[in-house]
Formats: sequence, C-alpha cells, structure tokens
Amino acid sequence: FSLLSCADDFVEEKPPYQLTSDTFFETAEDFEAALIGAYDPLQATYVNVILGEIASDNTHAGGESATDVVGWQQVDKMEHTPVNDNIDDVWDFNFAGVYRASYIIENKDKIDFEGKSQIIAEARFLRAYFNFELVKWFGAIPIKPEGRFELGEETSIPRSSVEDVYTYIENDLNLAIADMSLESPQVGRASKASAQALLGKVHLYQDEFILAAPVLNAVINSGQFRLYGTQGDEEFLNLFEYNAENSAESVFEVQYTGAEGAGFGCLQCSEGNVMVGFSGVRGYSGPVYESGFGFNLPTQETFDAFEANDLRRELSILDIEAWADETGASYTIGNQDPRTGHTGYYNKKYLPRKNDNLGDANLTQPNNYRAIRYADVLLMAAEALNRGNIDDALALDYVNQVRVRAGLSEIDVSGSQLTEEIFEQRRLELVGEGHRFFDLVRTGRAAEAIQGFTAPKNNVFPIPIEEIQFSQGNWSQNTGY
Amino acid sequence: QEINIEGSVSDIDSGMPLLGVNVIIEGTTKGTTTNFDGEFILRSVPTDATLVFSYLGYETKKVNVAETTDFTIQLQSDTQALDDVVVIGYGASSRRKLTGSVSTVDAESIQDLEPLNAANALQGTTAGVSVTPQSGSPGAESNIRIRGISTNGDSSPLIILDGFQYDGGLNSINPQDIESITVLKDAQAAIYGSVGANGVVLIETKTGKRNQAAEVTYNTYFGLQQTTRELPLLNNLEYALLTNEKYANAGQNLPFPDVSQLRTNTDWQDEVFDTAAIVSNNVSVRGGSENTDYSFSASHLDQKGIVAPEKSNFKRTTAKLSINTDVRDFLNLSANVIYTNNRSQGINSFGLGSVLFNAINIAPTIRPDRFNLDGTIDLGNEVANPLAQIANTFNDFESNRLSGSFQAELEYIKDFKLTARYGFNSSNLNNREFFPEFDFGTSKVFNRPFNQVNQNQQEFYDYTFDLFNTIEKSFFDKELDVTFTLGMTAFRTHGEGLFGARTGVPRNSYEFADIGTATGVGDNQTNGSFVSEFRRLSYFSRVQFSFKDRYLLTGILRRDTSSNFGPNNSTAWFPSVTGGWIITEEDFIGTNDVLNFAKLRASYGELGNDRIPNFLFLSVLSGEATYVLGDEQNLTNGQALGPVANPNVKWETAKKLDIGLDLKLFDNSLDVTLDYYDNTREDLLIPFIPTSGIFGTAAPGSSAPTRNAGTVKNYGFEAAIGYSKEVSDNFSFNINYNVSTINNEVTKINGAPFLEGGQFSVGQLPPARMEVGQPIGYFYGLKTDGIFQNQTEVEAHPSQRELAGVDASPGDIRFVDVNGDGIVNQDDRTNIGDPIPDVTMGLNLSFTYKNFEFSAYSFANLGSDIVRNFERDQPNVNMLSRRLDRWTGPGTSTIEPRVTTAATANKLFSDYFVEDGSFLRIQTISLGYFVPEKALQSVGISSLKLYAKVDNAFTFTEYSGYDPTASTGAPIGGGIDLGFYPLPRTFSLGLNVKL
Repeated sequence: FSLLSCADDFVEEKPPYQLTSDTFFETAEDFEAALIGAYDPLQATYVNVILGEIASDNTHAGGESATDVVGWQQVDKMEHTPVNDNIDDVWDFNFAGVYRASYIIENKDKIDFEGKSQIIAEARFLRAYFNFELVKWFGAIPIKPEGRFELGEETSIPRSSVEDVYTYIENDLNLAIADMSLESPQVGRASKASAQALLGKVHLYQDEFILAAPVLNAVINSGQFRLYGTQGDEEFLNLFEYNAENSAESVFEVQYTGAEGAGFGCLQCSEGNVMVGFSGVRGYSGPVYESGFGFNLPTQETFDAFEANDLRRELSILDIEAWADETGASYTIGNQDPRTGHTGYYNKKYLPRKNDNLGDANLTQPNNYRAIRYADVLLMAAEALNRGNIDDALALDYVNQVRVRAGLSEIDVSGSQLTEEIFEQRRLELVGEGHRFFDLVRTGRAAEAIQGFTAPKNNVFPIPIEEIQFSQGNWSQNTGY
Repeated sequence: QEINIEGSVSDIDSGMPLLGVNVIIEGTTKGTTTNFDGEFILRSVPTDATLVFSYLGYETKKVNVAETTDFTIQLQSDTQALDDVVVIGYGASSRRKLTGSVSTVDAESIQDLEPLNAANALQGTTAGVSVTPQSGSPGAESNIRIRGISTNGDSSPLIILDGFQYDGGLNSINPQDIESITVLKDAQAAIYGSVGANGVVLIETKTGKRNQAAEVTYNTYFGLQQTTRELPLLNNLEYALLTNEKYANAGQNLPFPDVSQLRTNTDWQDEVFDTAAIVSNNVSVRGGSENTDYSFSASHLDQKGIVAPEKSNFKRTTAKLSINTDVRDFLNLSANVIYTNNRSQGINSFGLGSVLFNAINIAPTIRPDRFNLDGTIDLGNEVANPLAQIANTFNDFESNRLSGSFQAELEYIKDFKLTARYGFNSSNLNNREFFPEFDFGTSKVFNRPFNQVNQNQQEFYDYTFDLFNTIEKSFFDKELDVTFTLGMTAFRTHGEGLFGARTGVPRNSYEFADIGTATGVGDNQTNGSFVSEFRRLSYFSRVQFSFKDRYLLTGILRRDTSSNFGPNNSTAWFPSVTGGWIITEEDFIGTNDVLNFAKLRASYGELGNDRIPNFLFLSVLSGEATYVLGDEQNLTNGQALGPVANPNVKWETAKKLDIGLDLKLFDNSLDVTLDYYDNTREDLLIPFIPTSGIFGTAAPGSSAPTRNAGTVKNYGFEAAIGYSKEVSDNFSFNINYNVSTINNEVTKINGAPFLEGGQFSVGQLPPARMEVGQPIGYFYGLKTDGIFQNQTEVEAHPSQRELAGVDASPGDIRFVDVNGDGIVNQDDRTNIGDPIPDVTMGLNLSFTYKNFEFSAYSFANLGSDIVRNFERDQPNVNMLSRRLDRWTGPGTSTIEPRVTTAATANKLFSDYFVEDGSFLRIQTISLGYFVPEKALQSVGISSLKLYAKVDNAFTFTEYSGYDPTASTGAPIGGGIDLGFYPLPRTFSLGLNVKL
C-alpha cells in the first residue's frame, strides 16, 4: 500500500488561485488583512447595544406593533425564553468576532515580522471585547484560549465558569496592554488605553475595585483624552454628531459608514449602524433627521430623571411632539402597547441624521458607536475608587468633571452618597448607549428597577435553544429558563 | 474423387458480400477465405466432403458438397450471439451469466424511437429508470433517475461513453450513433465505486464490422411540431365579468363598468404558439477488412421551438470516427473520436416571467401590439406582453465538444489481457445575451432603462486514464471458469470561465452587442471568473466465478481517493458481492417446453457519490472582511474565512440490495425479469446545515458547513416482461412491458428537523420539505376542507385570521386545523402530496407484416402529485376557466373559492393547488414500409425504408397544466409547475437508406 499512498499524491489538489487556511498567515500583509476581518464583526455588535437598552428600564421596544421583532418585545417585558432569534443573534454575532480574532491568535507563531506584536495584541483586545459581551449576556460560555473552535467541539468543550471566562478575558487584555502602542495605529483601531479601559471595566464587573482603579487611572493620567466640549470650539451637544466622531473623548469607538449598501438578508454584513435606522422616528418627515423604524423608545421616567438644567436631556432624548411643534416635522406612531410602545421620546444619541448613505438607508446609517467614552472611564474610575474605599476625593473630582460638563454644579458628597451619585450619573451620562441593564445587574439593582425582572434568573439571558441542541447536552441551560 | 468449387458468400438480409468468411472442409484444416467480393475458390475438394462456412457474428453453415452445385451461400447473422454480451464496466458478461440487475436498450429501439435526446430512449423502455425532461424547449436536457431519488444533492447517474466518463449531457450525443445503452441499477455498478451510487448508464457507440464492405446509410426525417395543449382560459367577456365580480365582492369600483364596450379578445396562447419544423440528417459509413473495422458518421439536427421559433431553437451537428485494428494477433488498437457542435437560442421558458407565464396571465382585453402596457388594465409589475418579451429577447449559446478515447489491448500471454485506455472530453461554451433598452410599461420588472450585453465563456477539460488486466482461465475440465480483473483509473477535470457584462451597446441593437463594442462606464460593468479542479484515483478488482455453468459469483472491491475527500476521510473502499444460480441447469429441474431458462440472482454492495462541491474540507479565505479605518473613514478590505470547512467531509454511501429472477418461457418467446430492490443512501451531504454559532457561521461571508447528515431509503419491485413471436414468414411481433414501484422515505437528518426548498407564488413560505418519515421533497402546505358556504360555518370553524390578517368569509377555502389547537395558521401545514410517482411503467409493441413495420411506445406514471403554480396572484390577471365555477352563494361550489380582490387566505399554498400528476403517454407511433429489394437492386440500394411517425401523440391525464412530465428534477422543490414549456407533439416523415 505504500505504492498506493505514493500515487495518492495525484489527488492532493488545492483550490486553484484561492487563499486557503493552509497557505495563509505567511506574510505580514496576511496578518493585517485578517485583523480587518476581526474588526469587521464589531459592526454587528449593534445588537448588543439596542437590545441591552431595551432590556433596561431606559426604553421601550417600540416598533410597528407589539409583535414587531418579537424577540425584542419579549426582552422588553422580561418574558424572553430560550426560543428567541434576537438573543441568538447576540450569541452568533459575538462568537463570530471571537472566532475571527482567535484565528489570528492561533497563527501568531507562524512567521515573525515587525509590528506583529501590535497585531496580535489588537486581536487579543478584540477577542476580549467579544468575550466580555458574551459573558455579560450569557454568563458561563465555552472558551478555547489556544484558538478557534473546531467542528465537534460543541459537544466536548464545556461552558467555562464565569470566573474562568473573566480570567481568560483579563489574560488576553493584559497580554494586549503589554504589547500595544500608546497611540492607536490608525483611526478606528484599538490603543493601549482602549485595552486598559476595557480591563478596568472587566474588573469593575467583578467588584475587583483594587484592580480596576489603577488601570482606569492610567487611562485618565495618560493625558490622551478629555471630555468633549471642554476645549476650543467643541460643543458638548454635538458629541453624538458626525463631526465629533473619533474625538478626544473616544477611548474606543466602533466605526460605521453609509458608503456601501446592505439588505435584511444579512444585517451583520452591513457597514452601517443598523441600530440607528431601527431607532429612527417612524414616518418622519422634517429637518435634521431621517425616518426609521421607531424602536428603542426612552420612557417618560427616563426623560424625567434629568434635572431641567441638565444639558444631557437635550443631548440624549428627542421629544418628538415638541420637535414637531417647533419645526413642523411630521411622523407616525407604531406600537401603542402601554408596556412596550410609543412614549413620545426617541434615543437622540443614535438617531439617523440626514446623510447620503446608500440603500437600504435604514441599515446603513454611518453613526459611529462610542463604545468606551472618557466620561464612562471617569465614572468607572470614580466607582472603583469609591466602592473600593481607595480615594473618595479623587472619585468626587472625576464625578464633578462629568457633572460640570453637563451644565450641573459641583457637589460634595462621599461614601455611600457618592456611590449613589455615581450610579445616577452613570445612568444620565450613558443613557441610550447600552450600558444600563448590565450596570443594574452587576450592582444588584435590576430587580427593583426593571419591571418583570427576576433575580437571579434574569441576571443573564438564556442560552439559545439551538445552541443547547447543537451541544447535545454538553451545555446546560441557565437557571430558571 | 475431387472437384474444384467456386462460390460466394453474402449476408442473407442485406445481400452484401461477406469478406474473409472461413470456408473449411470439415474434419480437416484445409480451407480458404472469401475475397472482397465474397467469392472463394476451393480446389481438390472430395465429393463427399462437407464445407463449413464460419464467420464472426453469423451462424455457422454447413453444406454437403454432394447435394448441391450452387455454392451461392447466404449466412444468417447471429443476433442471439451478439445480444448475449452485456457491458458491465471494465469488461463484459454474457446475459446468461449476469448476476446484477441490468437493463439494456438496443439500437433497434433507438431506431424506432429516433429520440432527439438519447436519454429519452430510456423512458418507458427500462424498468426502474425515470426520465423527465427539464422543459419542452429545444435543446433542453432530461433528468435521469435510477430507482428513485436518493439524495438532496446530485441524483443523476454516471454516464460512461465507450468506457470513459462523459459529462457532456446526452443531448450532445447523436442517438443514431448509439449501439446500446446499458443501465447498471444495483451493486453490479460497484466497480465504479464512489461515482456509482446514482447508478451507471453505459453507452456503446456503433462500430464497423470486420470483413464487410463499406455499408453506407443515410437517415433523414422532417417533422412539424405543435403544442399538445392550450390551457382553458377566460375570453374577454368572461374575464371582464369575473374581474368585475372580484371588485364588487371587495366593495370596490368595477374596472369594466360597461362590458358591452369590449372590442378586443386576444387569445394570447394562439399568439405565442406556433407550428415549428424539425429536420434531421444523418449519414454513416461502416465496414471492415480482416484485421480492421471502421465507422464514420455525421449528423445534423435543426429544431425550432413551438414558442417563438425564430428566437428559440436548437441545432446539433455531430461527427464521429472510430477505428479498430488488430496490429498483431496479440495487440489491438482502437480510437474513437466524437465532435459535437450545439447552438441554441432560447426564450424565457421557465417560471415567473416566462413567455408562457405572461401569455396565461395577461388580460384578453389587451391588443397583441400593445408592447407597452401603460394605459391598459393594471396587471402588476411582473406580467408583461409576451410578444414584446419575445421581440426583446436576444441570446445565443454555442458549445463545441470533442470527446474520444484511444485504447490498446495486449494479450501478452494467452488468456492474460492488458488494456490501457485514455478517454477525454474537451468543451468550450460560449454564451451571449443582449437586453435592449425597452419600456414594457410603468414599473414592469422587465424594463431596461439602459441596454446590456452579457458574455460568458467557459472551457472544460477532463481525462480518464484506465489501465486494467483481465485474466480468463478455466479449471477442472472447464467446470470452473474464472475471470479476474485488476486495474486502476485516474480522472481529472479542470474548468475555467470568464464572465462580463457591459452597458452602452450601440444603436440598442443585438447586431453590435459585444463587450468590446459597448461603451458603458460605471457600476453596471461587471466581470467575474471561476476555476475548478477535481481529481480522482481508483483501484479496482473484480473476480467472477462460474461453476458448472450454473453457480455464479462475482466479488468487486474498489478503492477511491479524491480531491473532494477531506484528510480525515481520504480513502473510500467499496465492496460488493453478486451471485446467481441458473436453476434450469440443475438436473432435477432441467428445461422443458415451458421453462427454458431460470436464474435466481442476488446482489449487495456499497457504492459512493462523490458529486459534492469541491474542497469542502478546506477553509478558504472567501469571507467578507470590511471595516472603516483611517481619518477619512474609508472602507478597508481585509480577508476572512468563508464557509466553515468540514475536515470530516466524505462521500455519500449507497447500500444496495437486489434480489432478482430471470425466466425464459415458451420456447424462449417470453422473457420475464423480476427484481426487488432496496437502496439506502447514508451520509447524505446537506449544505448549510445549522451549526453552532461558536464556529463563526454568522460572520459576513461565512456560512454553516456541509455535513454528512442524512439517510434516504428507496425500495420497490420491478418487473419486465417481453414476448416475441414469429407467427409466419410474413408476420412477427413483440411486446414489452415493464413496471416498477418506488417507495421513498427520509429516515434521518442530523442537526435539523427538516430542510425546505422550492418556491410557490411570490413571498410565500417554501412549499417542499425533506423530513424524517416523509418522502424526500414532499409538499408541505395547508389542507383544505371545502368552501365555507355561509357565515355560520365560518363561525363554527377555528379562526383563519392569522393566515392572511382577515377573517374568512363565506366562499373562502376552509382549511383544516391539523394540529387541533383551535386556530388555523401556518402551523397547520402538513403533507399534501409528493412528486415521486408510486408506480412507473412502459408498454411497447411492434410488429412486422410483409414489408410493413409498426411500433408504438408508451409510458405512464401513477401516484405523482404536481403543483399548479402558473397563476399570478394579482387582481386583474386572466384566470383559468375553472374559475367560472367559483362559489357565488351557498351551495354553488365546494371546490372553487369566491373571486375577490380583498385579502384572503385562498391564495396560500394548500392542496387546492396540488393536482394528481398521474399520466399515460403514447410517446411514439411509427409506421414504416420497406421498399421491395427487387425494385432497389437496379439503383444500387440494398435497403430503403419510408416511415411516418408521431411523437408525444397522446397524454391521458387529469392534470390541468401543460405537461405533467416536465420537472426541474430538484430533489426538494421538484414537481412544481411554473408554467413549463410543454413538450411538442411532432408529426414526421422519414427515410432510411442503405447502400
């Protein structure tokens, strides 16, 4: 049979003119190309943002009717089950990101070239970013530090404990921070501060204040960032306009464009921010904005949470009736369900502005997502310093920076009062940006704030039913689902 | 006493002199052979001697010298001897000793049928073989399915032409070049290993005969084709009244307030159907000397379409040359080359948007010359004037194919034969399409705001190299015969294609439609390419034992490697065993007047199907990797993995069991073949099978892998009965009947509860499914239970509101609440039929009386269902005249729902649209007349036959569409009639001449 196997070379063919896994990662260019491939799925994380917001007490699901995007409606009412296409999207899209980043890490030793460590570091940052989203949403998840999952491993690799997943994320981030350059190599890519801020956040989510504070302070002390609107001709109220994209407040920002068309067949393929078109005012006709599908509607209670002189109310929420009165704009109302429907308010931070994006225009809005803002870093640092009993004075300073920028006066509180203030500022500062639900969960306040929320069941979302089936019993369902 | 004898030898049928006939004095080695004119001289022959005339392929004749002085000898060709050999792949077997299930179609049947496509010669003539045309349009291919449908992938059998793999489609072979078609249906085909699972069709082409002067044949026919059917549609008045009623029922204004004003009544089917010509010419020259035979043939076929003959036609030109020569006693060389040129033009003949679809749906109140429908009644965006559509259709498809084989056979030791063969196919395909700028009416989907030319060039090349050794030995006083074959085959195919499209064709004219001439710039100028590569390497062996002429056993083992198999499953082994027992050889049975021959056979084996997408086991960087980077926020492209690779990918495995009985009865006049078969196909390759998200399947440009994840089982019975009788010198007849049953069931799908496919209407859920416990591709839809006659009935029934967003009204279809949950919705969909026939059969008879010859071929399918899907769901389109029987009030109809423009659930896919597709078709009736030889001899013609023939003569069916035989052949989604172009009925007159 040695003769046979020798002749068997005849059939050892490669697909002609195609790059395959076997011949990839042989030049520096390959690594750079693969890294772009790993950034690409960040655009699909719009689902985390809009659904995270709907899950919280900030907004209603909205939409055309009480059954429009039924998975979102269920999450809004905290009635979701493992059968939910939209929660499945969160799983699939973020694991797609993990897979692509892991592909680079798996091949990190294949060749050496100048600048490789930066690319590997960014891949680790991205893997940590996607895995952090997954652990926030689903708790324990399968992990594979050495590389990509291979077919069949869904039935053998278990869900690692939340603790192990966090250790794995921290490890990726620590390795990334060690190798990353201070400055981002290119607008849109992660810098050392991006990784530090994310690591601080990861520690904060585990109440590891002693570990969170220094790494967040490092970002603040780097001098690279400032609150937008505090220098030159910057206008705070423009923070979410196009001209403030990738500003000095942006520690990490997901990039979008309207330069390429998209369709409903593959929402995750869009180069635009799908959340924005879905958040637009239904049937809108008027100045400044474009129309959209009317999802993710801030509630009256959210609107009322702002003091009248807080600039952030105008920054964050569009009162459509007032706007229509003022400008003559017209619009329609879709879902009128009292629990999930029309509120009269829209998520102004991520509304579609008039622009020349390509069709389907609802899917290709170019608004960048400010994933980690300097204001968030200040508030996270303040929280770590305060709740870790490290330095209330410094914490207060950080909080006041955020307050003053919003047009509020400085305050002087400490201890648990300061903690409450930080929580409140987080809500007001970050409304509409997808953080609220997870802030409530990690601080144990979700059950009191969110109607229908049951702890501990709703602290995480159910593993999609499909995944339970694929694993053939390897992965168990989250408790209570 | 001795004398000198002069004489001649000729063929008794043709009168042709025979060259090289051995003439020997019995009991001696003394003799001679005939010369080119069939003459011989034998000197010094004892007057009491017996001369023996022997010649290959003829019955040996003995003549006693004392009894005659006329040595003009006529030999009878030994058809029995020739028919007895059946090719079985890398060798042949006598039919008597065959242990597998094999059907054959001989040249005579092909001559009778004179099919346009050789595949059609299998239709109705071979048990268990189903042939369905993809369309009746000229040049359309046919799907061949052997013993049911076993895979969701490619179900077509392997075609072996003179020993090499032929992928050109049977349409590119001249049927008159074919000597025989042999179908291997069971584990006998295991010698073809990973290519044999769908069955094997072996085609042998005609060769010349040794020792025969050149025989020239010329065959021609001319035919006229027309449609077999026009659908019963509404005329202008019926249409206007029914359309008015639709609007009235919805409380809307009537579109035809005064029907007395109707002037136009266009019969659109009459407008588009035409009588079209078909012409065929075929010439061949065949003959041979003592050591060499040759065959040359050429043919031309020109078929016009019955719809738009000038825009829809097919031309096939073929030339074939074969030579076979014995270079030495031990060395034979042969070469065989076939050239085919196909040219065709076609109209849109398929589905939504086809010419016939438009002809069915356009309003009869529109004049034929209204090419732009603005200002006429609104028919929606999809329905346009079919004549305008034909006028704006321009395309040209041409393929050139050269195929052939070169073979050497070396008998290096007695009974040890080595064969080397190189077969090849080389083809170029060339396609040009032009879409002129044209406005069919506001917002019609056919509209072209600018013109465009599409060009497409592809070339494919493949070779099959075979090397095998055959040893034939007898042992124990010839009690045991052993044939042992050992060999290898290497196969490689390579394809490349380039595509381009450009706008700005000068003068909006096909005359200038070329990418080079066009001037377009911008986004609509596109190009693309592909390259494909596939290789297979196989080793095989077969050993055939025959003991005492009655116990037969064959074992086959084949080993395949292929570039399609992943590293984890790189080598496939395919074993099979077949056995036979000739019962009538046993002394305790013996033969008698009734039972002349009986053989029991059984076979079991594994075969594979490697027709799967290439390189599924490899990760290709074909994913989308686009992100926005840099100050300028530019789209930046990188690289990412495409569809998830499956390193475990392997062939599909077919496990085939066959038990059969062959009988010859009543003085060999009645042939009976009975078979039971069970084909179980395992490891079906299912593309895009849902897979965990952890493999990145949701990433842009990625997709779930193709996995071996299903099992389909086909089983049934087959019977073939043939009776032939020579009643007198003037009258003989034969009759053949075959029947087979198919039971199809999906027994396993891993990872998915079902797969779905097909299309019904627009925007509806897929109508066909593959699901465990059901036939593959069964129809999945709502079950109806008559018509609601009044509001009380509506209210007594579970709500149907969820189906269409409105409550049902009297006159609407009542759907069954299948799951009994008190509400009728899409969850109540269920099995409402399947396209696989339960029984297929064929009946063929022929007789000759004096100089007349009559033959008739027919076939039937029973128990197949077909979906009527050629009515566009728009308020103003024309309707089938069955709608005249609509419900108009309590008791008026229990079948046809009311007409209305309002929203209803009546249009949803249900058994209202599923019809019985059973049919019986009289395929061919032919009457021929042989001109008496005496009249021909003076002009040097040896045989002349004139005939008249009708093809597709009658179809008996309940089906209301054009043609119940047409199908896409899709395993999931076949049997849905999108307005198939019907097969034409053809009346032809023909002439066969032999010189």
